Amino acid sequence: MAITFQPSAYSGLVDQDNGMVSREIFVNADIYAEEQERIFTRAWLFVGHESQVAKPGDFFVSSMGEESVILCRDRQGEIHVFLNSCMHRGMKVCRYDEGNTPIFTCPYHGWSFATDGALVGVPFYKDAYHEELDKSQWSLIRVPKMVNYKGGIWATWDPNAPDFLDYIGGFKTYLDILFDGWDGSEGGTEIIGGIEKWMVPSNWKFPAENFIGDRYHNISHRSVDLVGIGPSGQGRRDNSEREGAKSLDVSFPERGHGTVMFLRPEHAQPVPSYQNDPIVADYFYQCEIARKERQGQLWRILAGPGTIFPNMSFLPRQPRSIAVWHPRGPDQTEVWRWFLVDRSAPPEVKEFLRQYYIRYSGPAGLTEQDDMENWNYAHSASRGAMARRHHYNYQMGMGYAVTDFEDGGLKLDGTVLDTTKARAGEQNQRGFYSRWREFMAARDWDELATWRNGNGSAC
Amino acid sequence: MADIVNLFEVEPGQTVRLHGNATAEVVSNPRDGVWLFVRYLTSPDDPDQVGAEDMVFAQDVLELVTD
Ligand code: FES
Ligand SMILES: [Fe+2]
Repeated sequence: MAITFQPSAYSGLVDQDNGMVSREIFVNADIYAEEQERIFTRAWLFVGHESQVAKPGDFFVSSMGEESVILCRDRQGEIHVFLNSCMHRGMKVCRYDEGNTPIFTCPYHGWSFATDGALVGVPFYKDAYHEELDKSQWSLIRVPKMVNYKGGIWATWDPNAPDFLDYIGGFKTYLDILFDGWDGSEGGTEIIGGIEKWMVPSNWKFPAENFIGDRYHNISHRSVDLVGIGPSGQGRRDNSEREGAKSLDVSFPERGHGTVMFLRPEHAQPVPSYQNDPIVADYFYQCEIARKERQGQLWRILAGPGTIFPNMSFLPRQPRSIAVWHPRGPDQTEVWRWFLVDRSAPPEVKEFLRQYYIRYSGPAGLTEQDDMENWNYAHSASRGAMARRHHYNYQMGMGYAVTDFEDGGLKLDGTVLDTTKARAGEQNQRGFYSRWREFMAARDWDELATWRNGNGSAC
Repeated sequence: MADIVNLFEVEPGQTVRLHGNATAEVVSNPRDGVWLFVRYLTSPDDPDQVGAEDMVFAQDVLELVTD
């Protein structure tokens, strides 16, 4: 039976006061359909990286929610994002994954669009349309808002959405660590290799909440740690730099973003990492020194996995990558993973990182395989008539977060849960789902931009 | 009637005969199998077109005049 959810119903599905979330929001087809309308047409979404469309005519076919979009650079060098749907009968105009082209020609009847989206070719324009078709009215649909932030291309379908940096808020600190060079240089990164794409039989929110701060599932990766796939031959990462560090979960519940991180002690110094190769080890050591010099106190932040609401997650350090969890139905997620390296890194470093990345991430990556098993079995075991009557539990660490975190003179924005002793918490997930609830219930961005009323409370 | 022209094999500099009795030189080929960018050489029905650049649709390309 189809259930229609009124906006008020969402507070029952996400009970943040009691730390409980209904399984319906993961498995219900009506809620999923509502998400496409209320979340994916209004939020800022990650589309791709400028290094993927470096030359005029370069294009990369991406996705915003369920819908295919074309990221391309026109002949004048300007970057655009278009809906990949012909204005005549809706055919997918571009069916390649990426490439370079002077025009996008629709395979159905042959309408052709320039790389700036303009309709330039209409078969039988003179004879059948009698030159009366106003081509200027039938360009490809362009996103109303797009931004190139340090090489990352983001877009939203909502012309009333706040500007990107307002959408990101204090989370910018962590996004910068992802896109800046390892030495702290502004936006010094590029994409390496192809984009890995694969399907996971799970709702898109499972991976989004996992990346926002699920330290608790570390046990899932014990076999990888035993194998030792890390860049220094042990564990899955270099953990020596976390010596004496505080472990912090940082949430921006009014925006839905969150990350876990480690905060090095006030007088920490760079330590060796990437020990499997002396050239790579030296490169990173020098970068750490340069970044410490450049960033001072901020250098102490060792950023971990994070999620920008709704469906872009990332690992800013090891292995440095971006994942987008494209919704493909309540029970299917198409995962895309981009890998980042410093643009100016020597070839040996880039190749070393490429090897490490594919050992760790993607459909064949040892760590990512652990996660996928959890997501797909948790999802399928939550779909049944009995299972979906029961809520998930998100009560860990409730009431222990602060909004005025300070350590050795370094103040952190957001709601911070110190998990150094606790080792895990679920405040970031609670922040994610309280934001999800707001998106599902709010009429427009006037209601969604809650921070304009001073909202930023702990949850 | 001439064979159907395979647009993928048409090179810039070649001449094509078009629907409407015009001829045109191929300026570039986007290799989508559907369109060619051309410059009109002759156009008895619409002499103003001569010298103009345009896109022509595959079904309007009747034959290759020169190789
Ligand atoms: S659907 Fe694209 S030309 Fe008809
Ligand atoms: Fe994991």
